[in-house]
Amino acid sequence: MTAELLRGDAYQGLRLDPRTKMAMVFVVGIILTAGGYGGLMTYVRPALAFMPLLLLLLSKRWSAAAFYAAAFSAAYLGEIFLLSSTFGILNFILLASVGLFARFMPGLMMGYFLVSTTTVSDFMSAMRKMHVTEKLAIPLSVMFRFFPTVREEYGAIGDAMRMRGVSLCGGKPLKMLEYRFVPMMMCSLKIGEELSTAALTRGLGSPAKRTNICRIGFHAQDIPFLMLSAFCLAAYVRWLIANGGGAW
Amino acid sequence: MQKSDNRLTPKDLINIGIFTAIYFVVAFAVAMIGYIPIFIPLQSMAVPLAGGIPMMLMLTKVRKFGAMLILAVVVGAVYTVMGSGIWLLPIGIVSALAAEFIVKSGKYQSAKKAVLAYGVFCLAVFGNYMPIFFSRDAYRSFVIESGYGEEYADALIRYLPNWIAPVLVAACFAFGILGGLLGRAVLKKHFDRAGMA
Repeated sequence: MTAELLRGDAYQGLRLDPRTKMAMVFVVGIILTAGGYGGLMTYVRPALAFMPLLLLLLSKRWSAAAFYAAAFSAAYLGEIFLLSSTFGILNFILLASVGLFARFMPGLMMGYFLVSTTTVSDFMSAMRKMHVTEKLAIPLSVMFRFFPTVREEYGAIGDAMRMRGVSLCGGKPLKMLEYRFVPMMMCSLKIGEELSTAALTRGLGSPAKRTNICRIGFHAQDIPFLMLSAFCLAAYVRWLIANGGGAW
Repeated sequence: MQKSDNRLTPKDLINIGIFTAIYFVVAFAVAMIGYIPIFIPLQSMAVPLAGGIPMMLMLTKVRKFGAMLILAVVVGAVYTVMGSGIWLLPIGIVSALAAEFIVKSGKYQSAKKAVLAYGVFCLAVFGNYMPIFFSRDAYRSFVIESGYGEEYADALIRYLPNWIAPVLVAACFAFGILGGLLGRAVLKKHFDRAGMA
């Protein structure tokens, strides 16, 4: 009986340690949003922007990979061709959307990769190996599992509103806040109660040390990614020093 | 029951996680308006206002020390990874700690103290603006280098002169209070009646 069967998930792609994935989310997020340009960064940036695509492909998330490739290249081409030929307000709006994509998309996709290929048990055991206190580990794991639920519930509320003919075209932002928020938080609270019952059943509140079936550990496949992260981080730090702490 | 009632139980931690997720999504959606430079000052009003509802509900569900602090640490850390600068997290922790002591002084029962605490908590939003005021030139050249062009950078800087810093701090606080009041009103109207708060 292998651990694979006991895990019960059908994940077949590349298996990385959750800590490797977290390190890469961290590196891609920080450097692409706050890192500068020029020098070594000329090579670091495209490499990091390419990273989510590579990882999504390796973990067989085909549709997410295709979406990312299409969106990112559209934003990149837009930046090159459209921005130089427009100015004024239009230029600002284009900048906003293009800049948003080019800077946040890789980080968000890395986040998606982390969440979609890591089970909660994996996450918790990685957190424990890093000696993160439960006070942070539990809210974090709940939070990352909860994002898809938020989106789902939000869509469901929208459907219900449309079915009953509640339209928000009237331009009442406060009302909209109320009609959207209140049902969402009601069901979030219920989900929270279910979650905590489930967690208690699994012994989350007990004073004894919890055991975990997940075997977390660094393997050969982690090494290239960790080295790349370390190299990019070093390049970023070098850039920070060269630029007197950068803009931050 | 557990021996000490002030400890955060797993149930509390799960609730905190859920409200942190909601708060994060709301704040992120609202903060997007800041991508158009004219609207950047509006962030200091919109984020506190929209976050008031989940925060007030969290404070009624988790009446213990640490809820706001954990939310601030998690949201601040995620925002730092997403590039809001190094100031947001430390400022968030300090203001959340201050807010924690305010709700504590009301023994976690006072609605007024909760609203006031959320106002203080919202001062963290100013952390977003700190790079602009404290390293203006570096920020400008960073924006230009990032490919946004001089036009954009100058517009950004022009809309945020130095004298506006205290105004922004005050706006964060005032709209935090307003958001808190809004949250209380929604709570009273919906959640009390449904017996959920």
